[in-house]
Amino acid sequence: MTCLIETLLRLAAWLVVAPLLPGIINKVKAWVAGRKGPPVLQLYYDLARLWRKGVVQSTLASPGFIAGPVVGWIALLAAALLLPLGRHAVAPSFQGDVILLVYLLAVARFATAWAALETGSAFEGMGAAREVSFAVLAEAAVITAVLALAVQSDSLSLPAMLAPAGGTGALLLAAGLFIVLLAENCRVPFDDPNTHLELTMIHEVMVLDHSGPPLALILHGAAIKLLLFSVLLVEAVLPVGDLPALAGTGALVAGVLVVMVGVGLTESLLARAAFRQVPLMLTTAFLLCLFALLVAWRGAASPLPERPPPTVRLPGETTS
Amino acid sequence: MNTGLLLALFAAGMTTGILAGRSAVRIWLGGTLVGAGAAIVAASQTLLTGATWDWQPAFAIGAQPVHLRLDAVGAWFLMLIAVVGGAATVYSRDYWSSENHPASAPAGRCWWSAVLLSMGLVVLCANGLHFLLAWETFAIAAYFLVTLDRKNSETRAAGWLYLAASHGGTLCLFGLFTTLAARTGSWELGDMREHTELAPLFWLVLAGFGVKAGLFGLHIWLPSAHANAPSHVSALMSGVAIKMGIYGIVRFSGWLPVPVSAAWFVAIIGVGSAVLGVVFALGQHDLKRLLAYHSVENVGIILMGVGFGLVGLANGDTAWGRLAFAGGLLHVWNHGLFKSLLFLGAGSVLHATGTREMSRLGGLWRGMPWTAGLFALGAAAISGLPPLNGFVSEFLVYLGLVEAVNAHGGVALPAMATVVLLAMTGALALACFVKVCGVVFLGAPRSEAAQQAHECGPLMRGPMLLLAGLCTLIGLAPVLFWSPVSRASVAWHPAWSGLPAPAGLRALTVAHPVVAVAALMGVALLFRRVQRSGGSRAPTWDCGYAAPAARMQYTAGSFAGIITAWFEWVLRRERHVQAPEKAFPRHAGVVEHTPETVLETVFKPAADRTLRAAALARSFQHGRLQSYLLYLVAGLIVLAIVTVWPVWQ
Repeated sequence: MTCLIETLLRLAAWLVVAPLLPGIINKVKAWVAGRKGPPVLQLYYDLARLWRKGVVQSTLASPGFIAGPVVGWIALLAAALLLPLGRHAVAPSFQGDVILLVYLLAVARFATAWAALETGSAFEGMGAAREVSFAVLAEAAVITAVLALAVQSDSLSLPAMLAPAGGTGALLLAAGLFIVLLAENCRVPFDDPNTHLELTMIHEVMVLDHSGPPLALILHGAAIKLLLFSVLLVEAVLPVGDLPALAGTGALVAGVLVVMVGVGLTESLLARAAFRQVPLMLTTAFLLCLFALLVAWRGAASPLPERPPPTVRLPGETTS
Repeated sequence: MNTGLLLALFAAGMTTGILAGRSAVRIWLGGTLVGAGAAIVAASQTLLTGATWDWQPAFAIGAQPVHLRLDAVGAWFLMLIAVVGGAATVYSRDYWSSENHPASAPAGRCWWSAVLLSMGLVVLCANGLHFLLAWETFAIAAYFLVTLDRKNSETRAAGWLYLAASHGGTLCLFGLFTTLAARTGSWELGDMREHTELAPLFWLVLAGFGVKAGLFGLHIWLPSAHANAPSHVSALMSGVAIKMGIYGIVRFSGWLPVPVSAAWFVAIIGVGSAVLGVVFALGQHDLKRLLAYHSVENVGIILMGVGFGLVGLANGDTAWGRLAFAGGLLHVWNHGLFKSLLFLGAGSVLHATGTREMSRLGGLWRGMPWTAGLFALGAAAISGLPPLNGFVSEFLVYLGLVEAVNAHGGVALPAMATVVLLAMTGALALACFVKVCGVVFLGAPRSEAAQQAHECGPLMRGPMLLLAGLCTLIGLAPVLFWSPVSRASVAWHPAWSGLPAPAGLRALTVAHPVVAVAALMGVALLFRRVQRSGGSRAPTWDCGYAAPAARMQYTAGSFAGIITAWFEWVLRRERHVQAPEKAFPRHAGVVEHTPETVLETVFKPAADRTLRAAALARSFQHGRLQSYLLYLVAGLIVLAIVTVWPVWQ
């Protein structure tokens, strides 16, 4: 029962907090540019307005055009629910839940790209093609980061992986995950969320034809995804799960805020990179995560006295 | 019920099918289905109890005593043969009916039952000679099925290539079985792990069965055979027949001592097949050829699991090896189910539009909503998306690999690389299937034929529904399938008894239904919401473009363009560009084609060289007696020198 209540509370937290993040980023950007900027709660207003609106669909669209955004939203929400939030709000975890998380993100990608192709527009086709193509590199970086965390915690369940402080490679891991965060959430320098129309390249292109409640779900899902990646990044570096409850939550919130400020500053100070540099940047992210993995592996492989001997699983001689 | 009796019923049903196929369609259908049903019951009995059925009657065939055996490994594959075979049988009733194909349908039905029977015998035979007989019957029957439509020259070429490649493999198997018989003194097959001197023979196993399984490099026959065969045959070939190659590798890796290098080779070729298979799939524009390359990919994932299972065994009996092996084994079923579903879906598309060319399709969901929906489910499953079955087996492989990394042995670094490449394979497969679904089923129809596409009949829809249901079942309740998988693993390696289901699999059994129900409810609610607001329709907005046309849509080639450009070094696409010229260009165009790179850059040159050498040798044979006498004299002189030289020294 407590588990259910706890899960519902966490669900509510994700639903309510997520739309705050784009508002914070926009405030940071406005502050750097010396503008006043839209209110922090702007996305909430937008969502409410979109939910009240009607829906205009393309004449070519099948029911998948409506189903895609919901399926993507549910998948993102389910992925978010797998993440622990600090010490007490630990998700119902199991060995391998992180794999499920990565693949739920893939479900969201499939659903969004599917809905984009419903319209038969070449432009949206381009967006979908870019999304699924760059995801190949992003996924390599994410899974390498996951491996690094798995190696340094000797576990494949999220609460155990994310609880301790990042090891020696934490800085590398953070940098790698930050680049992935920018790419997966379509921020500068990968994409520009401001150029809502022609100049946008990846994500916003795919949702051009959506309107009303489905668009609200897409925007909300994007906010959840942003929060998910920032929480993952913060928990990978800070020992959120090892701190006392209040301090842990505080550290998590502060960490997410720092990440958002980082995104805002990146967006203010950098221009969008040329399109052909995107794979290069993602490969950099992959390499950063790879080095983090190798550092973690060296750390784990070196004989530590308190660690149970790893040869437990390897009775007999190794032949290779 | 008695397993022997059920298997006799299987044989009887299939034999009825062979005999009745020519004239009596109903009897053929009944016989084949009863046979398949009996095989399903027999296989599930064996998988649920783990008991081995062994039958050694007192008679002999080819001077060898008949010996049939069904253990859990065999039952695992027999189940796949029967389920996919049964489903595709029903499908073929409408798809390749006597009315539409009067010339080929009757013979096709006979060969169909023959191929099912011979594949069943392959997994049952425990005598090397009979195994070879069954294997050869299976290969030849499959040849006749592939070339059913043999008026088409492309089909004939594909069939010839299949036959040649298949016999290349069979040649290796001849070498394998005769050497085994010579070394052990009997044709009986069984556990021979004690005979360590037999270890090198495992390389013959890999070569012989690898051709049938379609390992990358030996897959040359696979794309054209799968593409040109009738779709129910492609489904059987891809879902089941190539699994016979996997069966051979799994079976003999359990029976023979496996050299450590070969275990590594299986894992590495698995990774290579997975990545390169999906890359080549992205480069295709023929729907069925694309699906064929995904078979190479999925065989790679299977061998990844099996290979790391073997490596784990070579490193002492490790838990991660078992997990990876179980994942590989489960992927055999999963791939069999969703790939046959996809091929049957592709068959319906071909049936409705008459083309496999993706650039001629589009917007088919309107005419054929069932096919579109079921194909989409298969696409999500093959991309390894939860909550479907493809994710479950990949999940097990991941669990095994990450445990291998955390074991910190010499396996850790290769296992890391494999995890990353498996993740990339998944993402690439997703890209490819988004492309297929989008280009074939969504958007606007790109041709007249696609415009007028119609849904297939209930006899074709039913089997697809069944396969899709099974994909969903394995996805939603994976823990149910752990016990048969572990039974098969134990039959493969008896020391592995009693492995409990991993906690992750039990958790997925909860998580998957929750996500699925949430998604369904969400979809229903949003549809209600949209309907209440009176959703209106308008042309695609597309930033305000006023006159969109079907031909302006993004094509399959452009969609995959980013990724295929990354892999240009292996794809070696041919590109013919006719650039627009002058101020008012009349004609311009780009044609891009992904060749069969391995076939054209490796096998064809090698074959050409062999033929040239043969032609050179033939020039000595010209019928002039004088020259022949000269050869004789020259030969004698050489012989004399050879014999006298040492003495003289």
